[in-house]
Amino acid sequence: MLYALMGLGLALITGILNIPNFAHGALFAVGAYLLVTVVGAIGNFWLALVVAPLGVALLGIAIEYAGIRRLYAAGHDYQLLFTFGLALILNELIIVIWGPVGISHLPPAILRGGVDLGFTFYPKYRLFVMLLAGLLVVATWLFLERTRYGAIMRAGIENKEMVSLLGIDIQRLFTAAFALGAYLAGIAGALTAPIRGLSPGMGADMLGIAFVVVALGGLGNLLGAIAAGLLIGVAQAVVAAYWTEASTAVIFAVMAAVLLVRPQGLFGIR
Amino acid sequence: MKHPAVLVIAALALLPLVVRHAIATEILIFAIFGLGLNLLLGYTGLLSFGQATFFGSAAYVAGYLLKYYGIGIFTALAIGVGVGALSALLVGYLCVQRSGLYFIMLTFALNQLFYFVAYQWTSVTGGEDGMPGIPRPALLGIDFRQPLAYYVLVAALFLLALWVMKRIVDSPLGTILQAIRENEVRAEAVGYNVPRFKLLAFVIGGAFSGFAGVLYAMLFGIVPLEAIGFVFSGNVVFATLIGGSGSLYGPIIGSVVFIWLSESMSVMWARWPLLLGVAFVIVVLFFRGGVVEAWARIWRFSKRAT
Repeated sequence: MLYALMGLGLALITGILNIPNFAHGALFAVGAYLLVTVVGAIGNFWLALVVAPLGVALLGIAIEYAGIRRLYAAGHDYQLLFTFGLALILNELIIVIWGPVGISHLPPAILRGGVDLGFTFYPKYRLFVMLLAGLLVVATWLFLERTRYGAIMRAGIENKEMVSLLGIDIQRLFTAAFALGAYLAGIAGALTAPIRGLSPGMGADMLGIAFVVVALGGLGNLLGAIAAGLLIGVAQAVVAAYWTEASTAVIFAVMAAVLLVRPQGLFGIR
Repeated sequence: MKHPAVLVIAALALLPLVVRHAIATEILIFAIFGLGLNLLLGYTGLLSFGQATFFGSAAYVAGYLLKYYGIGIFTALAIGVGVGALSALLVGYLCVQRSGLYFIMLTFALNQLFYFVAYQWTSVTGGEDGMPGIPRPALLGIDFRQPLAYYVLVAALFLLALWVMKRIVDSPLGTILQAIRENEVRAEAVGYNVPRFKLLAFVIGGAFSGFAGVLYAMLFGIVPLEAIGFVFSGNVVFATLIGGSGSLYGPIIGSVVFIWLSESMSVMWARWPLLLGVAFVIVVLFFRGGVVEAWARIWRFSKRAT
């Protein structure tokens, strides 16, 4: 589910802004570190879960406003270099501020322990994450499908010129899309913190996975990104149960296998 | 630049006098790596973000054989070229179908695949600790453990690589690749099998990367895990772009600037990638077009001032 969140956010950014966002993983990591800091400062997990992703979204707006906005006309090579440079900066800032050693973080008291599902014993927090992430995916989906703003975003993916000809401020659309993508990455990071702990490398690991999800889903295909995120998550969990060492590599192997058969991605049309 | 060959050779002779031999060697190795990328980026218009895949794979395979089977330098280099080309063939086969953003993301994702295999396969690669103990075998009685001797060898091989690349770029193949860069649809319409040519460029680029990878392993005596990591792929893109991807010599200038910059930053501060990131952002926002264009701009500015 978390992969679906990451993939959905990245699919929005790649689809609408048409840039390779190599800072997406770093935004994810910033979300996780912000959560831990806010929890430490105010002691309330729930409030932190609201605040941290919003902070990442604000960071996203700042990044779009100060940098990416000037690069839409430049080639992908410069866009890549810019977001890659941002990723390096954010990653190193995390090390400078929070230290290079991983941090573990406990879920709030209510969500510790597990629940007996009859056939298996499952940690409460993971269940919570699955539910919340599922809700978020559905909410984002409804936003994109059922609201006016969502319709504008989808139209932005299809045909930017037409959208701006219709009198819609395309700049604002771009900023909004980047902010929403950053928000989704931030909340995915915040939710991950109590499961896997934090380490400066978490962003880079997640970045690769997010790219796989988008590539599998098909570029500009938001539903595809959600489905691909679920598929990758399940594949990884299954492999992890039998051969732990290969559980990360298998994500990329699945991608390679799918692209061999369907070069346009699972749900790609183009 | 009337006689670029003379200039290059003069620079090669001067380089070890200016910086330490190991750094001079590293610059040349990185330049070979950049030449391979530039065939894709500058000439074919393919932005590969996974060149470390071929660099690292070749370094691991050749390093392993150097370490345990005592093969010679040229065998190692030949194997490196082969491994680089083969891994590029595999990766390229999956990627060349797609273009633009997709291509970038796929090369990156497959780079991650190779990275995680190297990371987990600790019995062979040493995982995070890298693969140490790679020898520099002697050849014809010359002991290449001497830094200067190794520099001379790498410089000679660099000239060879540059010459080969120049031949490729000036050949009909090079022209076809540039036609693909300029207008892919038209190149297709004229009757060229565009994916096939892209794949060919990709394989050649991979071979150059592999060649550089083996030299790198022998230079440091170790294959660090970073050699196959995506940051390395990003670095070579950066070096090529700051040099200017439009020209054959761009990546060479870029390597000089990049290696010199990163070496001097890394002794200043342990968190030097932060500075590197800042440099990326500044270059992109203010100095697009690389060193060559930045120079032209400064020149114009000073002319206006007088």
